[in-house]
Amino acid sequence: MRVALSLFGAFRDYQPTAQLTLDVADGARVADLREAVAAYGQAHWPTFQPALLARSAFASATCVLRDGDGIPADGQMAILPPVSGG
Amino acid sequence: MTQHQTEVLDIADGKLDAAAALDFVSDSGFGGITMFVGRVRDLNHGRDVTGISYDMFVPLALNGFAAIAARAEADFGGKLKLYIGHAKGRLGIGDLAMVVAAGTPHRDEAFRACRQVVEAVKHTSPIWKQEHYIDGDSVWSEGCSLCETTHTHDHPHDDPQHAAQHRQSHP
Repeated sequence: MRVALSLFGAFRDYQPTAQLTLDVADGARVADLREAVAAYGQAHWPTFQPALLARSAFASATCVLRDGDGIPADGQMAILPPVSGG
Repeated sequence: MTQHQTEVLDIADGKLDAAAALDFVSDSGFGGITMFVGRVRDLNHGRDVTGISYDMFVPLALNGFAAIAARAEADFGGKLKLYIGHAKGRLGIGDLAMVVAAGTPHRDEAFRACRQVVEAVKHTSPIWKQEHYIDGDSVWSEGCSLCETTHTHDHPHDDPQHAAQHRQSHP
């Protein structure tokens, strides 16, 4: 399936368009998507820090998802680096 | 009676209105009104700051604000009004980044509700702060990972020593 990822915070520095599309296997879980992002980052983002991805969560527009959760059927996801509001 | 109002306001569209927030949480039965106003300051960790850009995943942030308000309503009973507002975009020194107001019959629950909501917004909302410095450099602030679910906060993150400890204990 195709996953459209919105990027925020420090991830915008890696990908100025703030959008990333990746293909993952049907039935993939968030952990699989995390691995796919890591592989993409290693290959395409010269300043990529795997530790930042490790501390980042994945979410739909309505909730934060855990690594064991399935990817929403609409394929719309976001990567949330550590938050710093206020 | 429980009511709340939440909003995200892009600085290009306007500024947060603390007076309007105060008015929203006011009620003839409320003797306690508290408000937190977060403003952009000109110095952080010894560096001269010229502004802050706030990035935000707006739909999830608004969902989170509603959940934070619902939790406060459950914790502080039926007589509570809340306002939660956060700015988005590039703010200048002195601009309002965040406004939280709470109205209750008595002061104790007004203070506690306001503090609870402020901490929850700061540490769980999908919002990212990029500081801009006078030398032209810009840095995304360290933050709280949403990968952990059990961490609770009753402490500030502005202190560098605490921030370093936090990063070690919650990598």
